[in-house]
Amino acid sequence: MALPLAFYAIVVLVPLAQSFQYSFYAWDGVSAATWVGLGNYITFFTDPVLQSTLGHVLVLILFFSVLPILLGLLSTALITRRKLAGMAVFRFIYFLPQVLTSVVVALVFKRIYGPEGALNSMLRAVGLDALTRSWLGDFTWALPALGMIGTWVTFGFCMVLFIAGISNIPTELYEAARVDGAGPLREFFAVTLPGLRAQIAVALTLTITGALRTFDLVWVTTGGGPGTATLTPAVALYRAAFVNPQVGKAAAIGIVMALLCLAIAMAISKFSERD
Amino acid sequence: MSKKLEAVFTYLILAVLAVAVLFPVGAFVGAALSPDRAGRPVPGVVEWSNFATAWQEADFARAMTVSLIITCSAVAGQLILAVLGGYGFGVLGVSGHKVLYPLIVLGMMISTEAIIVPLYYQFRSWGLTNSLPGVILIHLGMGVPFGIFWMRAAFRSLPGSLFESAELDGAGPLRMLWSVALPLVRPAITTLLLLSFMWTWNDYFISLVFLHGDNQPATVALGVFQGRHLTLFNLMAAGGLIVAAPVLILYVIFQRKFISGMLAGALKE
Repeated sequence: MALPLAFYAIVVLVPLAQSFQYSFYAWDGVSAATWVGLGNYITFFTDPVLQSTLGHVLVLILFFSVLPILLGLLSTALITRRKLAGMAVFRFIYFLPQVLTSVVVALVFKRIYGPEGALNSMLRAVGLDALTRSWLGDFTWALPALGMIGTWVTFGFCMVLFIAGISNIPTELYEAARVDGAGPLREFFAVTLPGLRAQIAVALTLTITGALRTFDLVWVTTGGGPGTATLTPAVALYRAAFVNPQVGKAAAIGIVMALLCLAIAMAISKFSERD
Repeated sequence: MSKKLEAVFTYLILAVLAVAVLFPVGAFVGAALSPDRAGRPVPGVVEWSNFATAWQEADFARAMTVSLIITCSAVAGQLILAVLGGYGFGVLGVSGHKVLYPLIVLGMMISTEAIIVPLYYQFRSWGLTNSLPGVILIHLGMGVPFGIFWMRAAFRSLPGSLFESAELDGAGPLRMLWSVALPLVRPAITTLLLLSFMWTWNDYFISLVFLHGDNQPATVALGVFQGRHLTLFNLMAAGGLIVAAPVLILYVIFQRKFISGMLAGALKE
């Protein structure tokens, strides 16, 4: 009993406390640290580059959270409405990206978005040559392109979550809706959507915090570039901690991220439990 | 709309989504089997030797061994800690349970980013950076919250009368765990094993921070390989498949357990 707690304390609890402590200092990792109070936190919210990471997160939330949930709802409604053969196969396929190593996912899409990649080939094939570009190297398109990878990875998870949720909705509700002459759309909005509120809340929490924390995908595909066009807080943290050490700043980013995750989780759970 | 037409529409939309999910993976597999360096598939030619070449060129034998050592040690350790902790919280009852358990579950919400910086500098002062035991220790500690949460639920689902009668028969807590409880929670252990294998094997962030050079596991080595050999895409794709293979194979065999396990983890509240 004490054993798991000891491991947990050494690896998680103590460093967490230290993170707080570090975040009030300016330290390059070698020489003596100097107290800067809230300086690192102020930097996070005033430095234009660090500030921009929060803007990027908002865009990523659209792709990591909103789109996968919408697609997940659509496919769930289709899969569960009638008992059709082969639905387990779709579930298997949609969930597949979840188990793929993020590095491999990154490489797969780096290729697709590349100058000679599938996306550009398709555009050329339909005569839209003017639109072809190196998607991940483009200041405007790199972030949405990155976001689409998140959609691809996350949507299957959302769908499986919703399918599990639907199995808890009493079938009488559906029968009642059908007796009332509700079509597929009405049925979806009147029965399915309200019935899935708890699952949607979970999906929102996990995917929004996932968007906030994105590191692997960005690091392998764009490294935060071009320029700082796809920089996320996690990548900024990595750079500040291990590339050009500003340890206090990195710790502050980590604490802000953790607090944001916590706030998001609490806000969503509060919101989903209302009325 | 007739039922038949509806079914056709359903299949059509689901198939489009399935293609959207599978196409990128398929293109990657195609590239891995292509004789062309840029990974363009050549019809009729399947270059299986790419896997062998990538294995040697990128020194994947070493990287895969490192991954295997880290993953097996971490998974075994995580299972032991999870069983002990889950049993303690779920069956024996721990003094201070009301404070300790929330503290542990909190760990599931604490992101790696919040602890990585001090963790690194602390481990550096202990000489545990760029060492496999160091990384294994980190995986162990970080696996505790989910492990305890998971095994506590499994132990609690067993009827309490079971333990009472075992106790009457004179079984001590450890004997009760070993011969009464463990055999009954085997399905939960299997799922935990699969998840913890996947999470440890697929880890990138922790390994990137803590391991360098010869100690890099397969995921990080793959990233380095692609940075160095941008022009050898077919070999890189082959390498990517090698790195992804262990988890993919497990997923194909145990897909239900993967899916249900990750859902249960997500629905923890």
